[in-house]
Amino acid sequence: MPKRKQIQRAEEPTVPVAPMLDMAFQLLTFFILTFKPLPTEGQFVMNLLPAQPATEMSAEAPSEATSDQLPATLRTLPTVLKAGQGGTLAEIIVGETVIPTDQAALEKELDKYLQDPNLPFDQTLLKVDPNLKYSEVIKVVNAFSNAFIRARKEPNISFDQLQPGEAQ
Amino acid sequence: MSANMSTELKAEPNLTPLLDIVFQLITFFMLVINFSTDNYDKRVNLPVAGSARPAEDQQQVSEDRLVLNVDSQGHLLMGGEVMPLHKASQSIKHQADLIKLNLKASGHKMDERRGLPTTIVLRADRDASFSAILDLIKVCQSNGFRKFALKAMNG
Repeated sequence: MPKRKQIQRAEEPTVPVAPMLDMAFQLLTFFILTFKPLPTEGQFVMNLLPAQPATEMSAEAPSEATSDQLPATLRTLPTVLKAGQGGTLAEIIVGETVIPTDQAALEKELDKYLQDPNLPFDQTLLKVDPNLKYSEVIKVVNAFSNAFIRARKEPNISFDQLQPGEAQ
Repeated sequence: MSANMSTELKAEPNLTPLLDIVFQLITFFMLVINFSTDNYDKRVNLPVAGSARPAEDQQQVSEDRLVLNVDSQGHLLMGGEVMPLHKASQSIKHQADLIKLNLKASGHKMDERRGLPTTIVLRADRDASFSAILDLIKVCQSNGFRKFALKAMNG
């Protein structure tokens, strides 16, 4: 009986794992060296129609909107963004009111316009100073996007260039 | 006698668990590695916006899109080439013509109001002036593009 056990042990196959481990380590080294996680990018999706007179403006509004029957001019919240030194945001005029430029105060002001059930606004037209930096525009788009979402409306934002002498 | 002793002392560690872990690590890196950096231009520093939604929806990612990288000077970066606006507009027109041809060949009709089905993915530098971006948007609109996605970093 002990003789039989010895024979069984001798026949046990041995697979050389070391070369496989070498290859695995080489692969691992390659992946570690080439691994470079890309930063996460987000996006603002929007339908931008070519610029046309405000009376003909008809950006796509959500079909369930109650104010759908009103003309687009009445549903559009006009916003002017003026540039200061070095392309920074100097002034924001919503409707005819100058509102603060810092993010929290801006969003609070926008909530007043978009969450008021007596106001029909479901889209906005940003008239942007051509000298304004893109990052400043995106900050305002971000604030509007947040305000639209809080008001349970589809963010509907369009752009136009602020002409010299306009909104003085 | 001495040879016999050396064989008896030979250490044979069990490498199988180590191999298992290494394979698991390789699997992890293979799954998370991203070789597709064709649309990612390091010269472009995107603006930061907290509410920018990631395009994780598979339909959004796989749909027809044209990526435009714009540097801080407002020039279009395409295939490593820096293009001023007049050159960029030619390139965009060429792309639009190709899309229209494809639509025609596949028997689809272009809806003038909805425009081309392609989304313009705009990756513009945070320091670019808005006038340069708007000029580029207008060129795209004049060529029939209506859908835009403005890229920003999730803050």
